[in-house]
Order: sequence, then C-alpha cells, then structure tokens
Amino acid sequence: MENAKILIVDDDPDLTKALKATLESKNYIVITASNSSEGMDKISTDKPDLLILDVMMATAEDGFEMARELKNDPQFKKMPILMLTAIKGRTGIDFKSSAGDRDWLPVDSFLDKPVEPQVLLAEIKRLLSPKT
Amino acid sequence: MEQDPQNTRLIKRAYWLIKLRWIAIAGVCLATFFAHNIMGVSVEDVPLYCVAAALVLENIISLLLLKRIIGASFNNAPIKKIINFQITADLVALTILLHYSGGIENPIIIYFVFHMIIASILLSVRESYLQATLAVFLISLLAVLEYKGIIPHHCLEGFVTCNMPQGIFNVLGHVFILATTLYLVVYMTSSISIQLRNQEEAYRQANIQLQQKDRIKDEYVLQLTHDIKGHLAAIQSCLSVLANGIAGPLSEQQADFVSRTHDRTKKLTKFVKALLRLTEMRLSDKFERDFFSLKDTVSIAIESVKTKTEDKNITLSSSIEPTVDKVFGNQFSIEEAITNLLLNSIKYTPTNGTVQVQVKDNGETVLVEISDTGIGIPANEIDKVFDEFFRASNARRVERDGTGLGLSIAKQTIQRHGGHIWVESQEGKWTKISFTLPKYPLRQAEKNPDSANQIINLD
Repeated sequence: MENAKILIVDDDPDLTKALKATLESKNYIVITASNSSEGMDKISTDKPDLLILDVMMATAEDGFEMARELKNDPQFKKMPILMLTAIKGRTGIDFKSSAGDRDWLPVDSFLDKPVEPQVLLAEIKRLLSPKT
Repeated sequence: MEQDPQNTRLIKRAYWLIKLRWIAIAGVCLATFFAHNIMGVSVEDVPLYCVAAALVLENIISLLLLKRIIGASFNNAPIKKIINFQITADLVALTILLHYSGGIENPIIIYFVFHMIIASILLSVRESYLQATLAVFLISLLAVLEYKGIIPHHCLEGFVTCNMPQGIFNVLGHVFILATTLYLVVYMTSSISIQLRNQEEAYRQANIQLQQKDRIKDEYVLQLTHDIKGHLAAIQSCLSVLANGIAGPLSEQQADFVSRTHDRTKKLTKFVKALLRLTEMRLSDKFERDFFSLKDTVSIAIESVKTKTEDKNITLSSSIEPTVDKVFGNQFSIEEAITNLLLNSIKYTPTNGTVQVQVKDNGETVLVEISDTGIGIPANEIDKVFDEFFRASNARRVERDGTGLGLSIAKQTIQRHGGHIWVESQEGKWTKISFTLPKYPLRQAEKNPDSANQIINLD
C-alpha cells in the first residue's frame, strides 16, 4: 500500500522529524502531531491509514488512552496503531505479554524506541497489507 | 507484616526452656532414685516424683499454649506470658522440691540462679525483678514456715546434716545471701542482655537504612537512564536517517563517520537499555507468574538465536528430558535469560564451535545447563562474572564494548524465581552456565518481585 497516509503522534520533535524523513523516503504521506488532542483532531480531518503513537507524552497514560478511545470508535476501529514504547517501567504495563489482548490494550503492534528504519518500515508494511 | 526477629527468637527460647525442663525432670527422677534407693539418703521420694510429674504437666501445657500462639499472632506479649508462666511454675516447683529434700540447706537452692538468668535474658527488667522477688518470697516463706514448725522440716539424713532449726539469724542469713545473689544476678544479666538487644536493634536499623539507600540509588539510576534513553532514541533515529542515505547521499568519508557514530550510539543505547532493565527489575514490585512450558520456552530461545549460530557456523544442540515441562514463573523473563545466556555463549565461542543446552528434571526443580566450547573465563575472575559491569579480561579482547550486565540480569531473574545460577569454566576450553528453577510456586517469604518485559540483546 504505497502512498498510504501515516500520522505520527509523538512529543519529541527530533524523533518525529527522523521518522517522518524515513517514511517519506518510502513515499508514505506523513502528518505529525505533538500531543494527543492535536492527534485526535488530525485523525478526524486527515483520516490517516495508520497511526504511530508514542506511549508516554504528557502523562504515562496519554498514548494508551488515545489508543483505547480510537479502538472504541467505530469509524477508526480498523486503523492500525503502532505503538512506540519508550519505557515500560514507568507505566507498569507488561507490553509483551499483553500484546495479544486486544480488549485490554488496544494496539496492533509494539516497537521499542529507538527503532531502526528497516524494522519500522517492515512493520508498517505488515500492518498495512490487507488481512488474509 | 514481617516476623519480628525478636518474636522468632522468643518462640525459639520458649521451646528451649521446655527442652531444658525435660532434662531437669529426668535429673529430678534420677537423683531421687539414686539418693533414695542407692545412697540410702532419707529422702521422701514420692513427693519428689510428684514434683517431677507436675513439671511434665507444665511442659505439656506450655507446648499446647505455644502451639496455639504460633502463626496466630506477631505479638511478643503472649509468648512472654508463656515464658513468665513457665518460670513462675518452675520457681514454685523448685520450692516444693526443696521442701521435700532438706529445705534451704540443700545446695540445690543454687538452682534458683538459673531461673533468674533465663528470666533476665528473655523477659523485661521489671518482669525479671518480679520473678526474683517471687523466688525470694517463696524461699523466705519456706524457711519461716519450717523454722516455726508450721510445716515439717524434711531432713536429708546421709547427705546434709540435719540441724534445723539453728536459730533465726542462721535462717535469715541464708535467705539474705540468697536474695542478694538472685537480685544481683538479675541486675548483671539484664544489663548485659539489654546491651545486646540494643546492639542487635542498631544493626537491624543500619541494615534497613542500607536497603533504603540502595533503593534511592536504584531510583536515581532509573530516572537518569530513562532520561538518557529519551535523548539517545532521538539521536539514533536522526543518525539512522543519515546512515541510510534517506537525507541524501553522503561522501565516502562522511558515510564512514556517520556509520561509526551510528554504531557507537546503538551500543550506548543497548547499554542504557540493559541498565534500565536491571534497575527496573530491582525496583518493580510486579511480577506476574504462571505455569508455563519450559520446553517451549527453551525452543523459542534457541530459535531466536539461530541466525547468530549460522553466522559463525556454530553447532547448537539441545536435549530436554521428556519429563520436564511446566514450571512456575514469568515465561518472558526466563526466555529472556536463556536467550541472553545463549547469545553470550555464541559471542565468546569461536567459529565452528558448539553450544549445548541441556534441561534436566531434578524432582522439585529443573536444571538448565548451557555449555560452550568458547574462550572460557580466567580462573581468578570466575567469581566476579555475575557482578554488574564486570567483563572478563579475555572477553574484552573478543569484544571491546560489551555492557557487562548480561549475566547480572540473568542472575537477577533466576534469583527472583527462587533458583540458583552458577558458572564453571576452563579458560581457553569451555564454559558451562547452569541454573535451577523451582517447578512449583514458592512460599510467600521466598517470593521476590519482578517485572518482565522487553528482550534486550546483550551481544
């Protein structure tokens, strides 16, 4: 799925810029937001195909709450969410063992920060490929 | 609530007291029998046997009382009550024994001192003086009643000359000497035992403080590494863009420097992540456990390092005893530990070597052994391999930039599961790292908190 639209929600401008450049090199259309409310606005207006979400922004719960909200919204339920996990110690959530539990933690994939371009691109490709 | 060490000690002492009394009971019976039947001393044996029987009863009551208390209360007061009861009953028994075996002239009167010592060690100062007062009162009562002829004076003909009554001053003198002896014994023993108790408490407090300081250090390291990691993630991501030519082509020299910077940043990230993982494990109270298949976990770990073995043409074999399956613990952290140990072995094993995983059933535990034909560990460094940041001198030659945290993390994980980990090696030839894991949940006291999450490759 070339030319897919990807929204990055992350409060680190440098990291966002690097991710944006990486994704744009593969012809994805990239939009960015630096917090969850800005992210929600852009989701409504731009309707991205995939969301890259930082776990912790203003608070430890920020990213999770946003993901939960989206997965409960019939309009955006199908949009894949790739979560970037900076650190799990602070949130106290065991990402790995809960990854399969969609109801509990509603995201489609986790990657540990920092993520190498090859890994990120492969994961995005996987998430965007039509489900069999 | 944690068991107070003083509490445990008191319970132990209460049992010790009971044990001593069994010996005393045997002593009373034997001495009575010996004196009466062999030495021919004119001793009233029946009442003495009755005293021994009463002591047996006392022991049984004490045992029953103790049984009721243990586990039901963490309070010292009920145990002290039992000890007080025992000592009081002993004093009464000893007085009656004394009465039937020659009164205060029987040298056995010295045995009152033992009870004073025991009281001073186990009980409060006030309680000890009360027991001493009771002893003095009982002895005085016995002496006065016998002197006044209100109760008979039983002579020990053939052992002590029977010359009671010898006059009031003699009686008072006896009682006075004994009373001062008992009070002095209580005074001396109490002061020593208070000093010891205070010292023990001071050590305990110092230990608690050390643990708190260690925790503060861990929290500090966690905060620090977390902040560093945030910056590192941004730096590494930006460098990746450059190194991968996403921002445009670089000259050969530029590409070389960017690639070096990128590599070093990745190593630093790896180090920071390892440190973060270790610190989190130490601090976290959460540790989800369940029964999981160790067999599957070992297979997953082996699968995950396969490409690394192929790169070096290392033969990786495994044998798992068929009876080994479920163990209780956190599957993810065990998988992480095994993976890291395998990666470690592969890293320090030259090309064409072998790495072997063996899982054995040890009954209550499972034994996992990971052996390799690698560079080994110098004999004088083997004790330090689990220390944080330690790297063996020959390991540094193989790879300059290891974190020195891999084995520390593995050790932390295994210990939190109630297992043991150890290493054997011959430098230049082989290394074998072994660890045990309990199959079933441990009792509460042995549990350790942990949290388990991301895999960190420490190669």
